[in-house]
Amino acid sequence: MDWQYFLGVLHFIVQPMSLFTMVVSVFFGLIVGMLPGLTATMAVALLTGLTYKLSNEVAILSLVAVYIGAISGGCQSAILMNIPGTPASAATAVDGFPIGQRGEGGLGIFIATMSSCVGTLTGTLCVLLLTPPLAVLALKFGSYEFFLLALFGVMICGQLTAGTDPLKGWISGILGLIVSQIGMDGMNAYPRFSFGVLDLMSGIPLIPVMIGLFGFPEILYGLVSSTARAQVKTTSLEMKKGFGIIIRNKLNLIRSSLIGVMIGIIPGVGEDVAGWLSYWAEKKSSKTPEMFGKGAYEGVVAAETGNNAFAVPGSAPAAVLLAALWLHGLRPGPLLMSESPGFVVDISVYMAISAITMVFLALIVSKATVRILSVKSTILMPIVYVLCTVGAYVISNSIFDIYLVFIFGLVGLLLREMSYPAAPFLLGIILGPMADNSLRRALILSSGDPSPFFTRPISLIFASAIILMALTQLNAFGWLRKLLVHSELKE
Amino acid sequence: MSTKSNWRIPAAITLGLTALWPQLGNAQEKWPTQDISIVVPYPPGGGTDLTTRALAEEMGKALKANVSVLNQPGAAGSIGTLGVWNKPHNGYTIAANGLLAFSSYAVMGLSEKTYKDWNIWIATYSPNVIVTKGGDGAKYKTMPDLLAALKAKPGEITFGTAGVGSGGYMGAEVLKLGTKLAYKHIAYQGGAPAIIGGLSGEVDIVPQLLMELVDHIRAGKMNALAVLMDQPFKLSGAADIPAISASVPDIKPYLPMGESFGIMVPKDTPPNVVQAIDEAFKTAVKSETVKKFAAEKGSVILALTGDEAQAHVAKLSSIVSWTLFDGGTAKISPEKFGFPRLK
Repeated sequence: MDWQYFLGVLHFIVQPMSLFTMVVSVFFGLIVGMLPGLTATMAVALLTGLTYKLSNEVAILSLVAVYIGAISGGCQSAILMNIPGTPASAATAVDGFPIGQRGEGGLGIFIATMSSCVGTLTGTLCVLLLTPPLAVLALKFGSYEFFLLALFGVMICGQLTAGTDPLKGWISGILGLIVSQIGMDGMNAYPRFSFGVLDLMSGIPLIPVMIGLFGFPEILYGLVSSTARAQVKTTSLEMKKGFGIIIRNKLNLIRSSLIGVMIGIIPGVGEDVAGWLSYWAEKKSSKTPEMFGKGAYEGVVAAETGNNAFAVPGSAPAAVLLAALWLHGLRPGPLLMSESPGFVVDISVYMAISAITMVFLALIVSKATVRILSVKSTILMPIVYVLCTVGAYVISNSIFDIYLVFIFGLVGLLLREMSYPAAPFLLGIILGPMADNSLRRALILSSGDPSPFFTRPISLIFASAIILMALTQLNAFGWLRKLLVHSELKE
Repeated sequence: MSTKSNWRIPAAITLGLTALWPQLGNAQEKWPTQDISIVVPYPPGGGTDLTTRALAEEMGKALKANVSVLNQPGAAGSIGTLGVWNKPHNGYTIAANGLLAFSSYAVMGLSEKTYKDWNIWIATYSPNVIVTKGGDGAKYKTMPDLLAALKAKPGEITFGTAGVGSGGYMGAEVLKLGTKLAYKHIAYQGGAPAIIGGLSGEVDIVPQLLMELVDHIRAGKMNALAVLMDQPFKLSGAADIPAISASVPDIKPYLPMGESFGIMVPKDTPPNVVQAIDEAFKTAVKSETVKKFAAEKGSVILALTGDEAQAHVAKLSSIVSWTLFDGGTAKISPEKFGFPRLK
């Protein structure tokens, strides 16, 4: 690696103008990430237009900083209100919200923020050192693997969030997959389930569904049981305890970062999958898996590290970031390393420094945000309600999206009343198009022959994992044993 | 219900006033007197977006006004385009689009408005290019290699595109019209995944726009077999790409095939406004920014205005509509809109 690039970028970043831009951008990203509906994708897209006239270095620095801020900011509303600020923090909410409800909101945010930072730093390091070999691996991911990965993602999410009965999680995930089929299909542009309505033809957008599923039930419950929420006491950040937890989770941090990096390298798969996968891996290797979902610190650490170690383009916000780089005359792609060799170093340093700045800013902001827990819900919930509705509207300035919030709000309410988890439903909608299109593309490629799903090496790993998971959960092995014992008895 | 009608009345009054405003003021004299927005009906980063941003900056300088770019994606770009039509026809909201995509709206039932309803300015053009995976494992070195393979295994050579109706799909269909040889269409969710499919060898051929493939060709990761033009394409930083007409002479009537990018305002926009946009556009396409952009992105500057632009989109509408209709994708006949079939 060339050290002169490091010196150059460090010299640029310590200039007052650069520092100022970075701090303001990280802060803007944090706020946008925190508000449900305003996502990292949007933060970057909003800024892209504004930075068009800035110098290249400053513009790219500010875009990277906003991206880092927004992805990390999503954890705060997840922990405090059970409404993920961005789809990627849905996994954080599973354990983060119980932690907040225990009165440890400050501690929860501290852990989540530190994990985000560690995730970003490890992710960046991996990109610097491992990009070429990882890129080769990414090309091994074909349509067959994409389909199986999507299925695997929905299944582990269903299993993780369902509490006692994984079937309920899977049902919720399948419902999400079904809803995602509304709109023009990806292979022949044929409108499905759209009944000639133009709004339905472009498909069910993700953000209004997320706000409906998570936000709407919280608002209603908050108003019905107005006392329950007001009781929660806010706590200080408890930095010492927080550091202790982070240090105890060394292995978890490393594993989750690696999962994040691996998922990140696969084009088209988002941070959300990375968060869920690392959460799953942590639960699998935990000595106390029964604590997950009830406020386990490990769960928050895994989810936040995983979704931030995702330093490689693959997700929607990262795609917008790439587009922004184009606008500034850079050409991300095969020629990047030979045309502007310093660029990868630049971006990595921007990311690392933004991540560290993000920790300080997030902790300062959280001093104010944890107080949300002690605000009376009769005052808080109407405000959240307005923010949610506006958040759904501004994405595409469409009133139809607000109707969707209500429709999926009712769906979310029903799911919750019957104790079905909402997270698999959301992930089903996110991954549905990928699953559908990859499956059909794969079958067209193989002329209808399903055997490549089981003969390609990566496919085989996924396929066996999925089948094993389904069989264990449905207690197929128990039945088998019974059957064997029974037949032996007969003999 | 009562709340609904409550806001509708003031909203209607406001809208009415906004629509009337130019007529009340002295709009005939001076244009523009306020900021202009160009609506890109796709997310940021695509061909239309990048071209429009380069163009908007230069037009802003020429008009001495703020020209901002808004992204309003949805339904193959028809939602943003319809949005511009529904705004007052005063030139302050301009539509941008890829004209190949735009030409499909009528037969796909996405819009009743065709090119005949709009004033169109076409800035740049990027041809379809037939590429295959490069390097040592390259299956095809030249276009005749590919033609021989298509003949030997009809319907088995895979073409990865950004989906039905996309620029890449139209390129593949036009090649089929010219060669009378069937291929196997593999649709991806966008140009970038299709290109990755080509790089990984999942599909044999990627017929997307040169604009999208230009760096992969420059880096030698992909072999460019031919451009869908009747003359070779001189690409900076790489070897010239042969013309398709050299190996497939029957394809000539359909050439040049590719996506052209431009801006549009409704036909009934006041003439002085159209005149002002026309002058600003002509200055912008001559600027260094646009020239540099085109050279880097494997595009040609067309700078078509007025009748020339109308004729260009008329031909595109015929090719696109009939291809989609004959293929069964479009359910509405191009005859309904008076698009003749190309001979």
